[in-house]
Amino acid sequence: MAKQQVKSGDNVTRWIVIAMVLLVVATGVFFSMMSQNDKENASLAALGGMKLKPAVTSTVDPDNGSAIVFNAGLPKVIDIWEDPQCPVCKNFEDAFGEYIDTLVREKKATVRFHVLSFLGDESVRAANASFCAADEGQYLDFHKALYAVQSPLENSGFWSNETLIKIGEKIGINSEKFTKCVNDGEKVDVVKANYDSMSKFGVQGTPTVFINGKLWERTSPNFDLGEFSAAVEAN
Amino acid sequence: MRKLNTRFQPVITLLARLTLGGVLLVAGGLKVFKPTESANAVAAYKLLPTDLAHLIGYALPWLEVAIGLLLILGFMVRPAAVLSGLIMVVFIGAIASVWARGMLIDCGCFGGGGEIDPSLASEVRMNYFIEIMRDLGLALAALYLYFFPYGKLSIEKAAPSTKE
Repeated sequence: MAKQQVKSGDNVTRWIVIAMVLLVVATGVFFSMMSQNDKENASLAALGGMKLKPAVTSTVDPDNGSAIVFNAGLPKVIDIWEDPQCPVCKNFEDAFGEYIDTLVREKKATVRFHVLSFLGDESVRAANASFCAADEGQYLDFHKALYAVQSPLENSGFWSNETLIKIGEKIGINSEKFTKCVNDGEKVDVVKANYDSMSKFGVQGTPTVFINGKLWERTSPNFDLGEFSAAVEAN
Repeated sequence: MRKLNTRFQPVITLLARLTLGGVLLVAGGLKVFKPTESANAVAAYKLLPTDLAHLIGYALPWLEVAIGLLLILGFMVRPAAVLSGLIMVVFIGAIASVWARGMLIDCGCFGGGGEIDPSLASEVRMNYFIEIMRDLGLALAALYLYFFPYGKLSIEKAAPSTKE
């Protein structure tokens, strides 16, 4: 095919245009990154207002996918499968977090938290830190704090060990043991056991909830507290 | 065929520019102020290291807008066409790759993006096919513009032809 000829002599214009396009792209990238960091830092600062509630001890149950278990042995059992980075899990937490917290603290149900980590490195780190917090009896509050600061961008670099320790500090977990546990990744084996148990329990995504072993499926478009609490109390 | 092309080339070039440029402008414009969504969408393809994927997610919408504008205005059409053709080839490769790996994601082409739950599997695979066909069409438009960048309503004009 005969190519159309390019006008010669406008090389300067060409380079100016290329430079302008690059400038626009670079400026866009810069502002996008800045706004991302600002959001993350603001959410972390907002944690300062959170007060640590009394410690609640939990166990890790190897027979149930190494989940974090509260109130083992009650007739009502709720299994919650979550990945700390999953955005829908944040919606779930926003809607039902307080209610589930109450169920645990008032010993109304056995609650098993399966802390998954299929969304990447930062999920593994956050899951590890969650098990560290559980050793301190503070899983419930640490879990709540994680979702409060969850970055909309997965694996953005925000949930470094440093940030996870800082989240602990903000809500009042200050022990050397916690810091060491997070930094050394002491719980990665348990974290992996949680992840590996997904297929055994037929869990394909998050959040997945079983009430007394039965998969809970919502009918309302959003997480409706009335619907969920009715399902919990019915069984 | 060649005669027909000679006759209608300025109009075809204009249509190709508006189609390709319009799609790029809209696609970029819808994502440009949702950088987080865009970065997540690129990362969801799991083709690149996360940090690099995020960076591309931030840059791509702006690049699409810039190329789209150049094409619509008819300025630097040939380089813009080359670039958009390359981008389309990359898009086709990326979608084919997630399809082949059996992943279920939203392409994030016009915003959105990320994983889709398995209950929508057949719909998602149909979308992959449609998206590849669409990008193939756009790549052909880019190819045409490489050969015939100058047409109607263009800032840049063709150099007076020396032979013909």
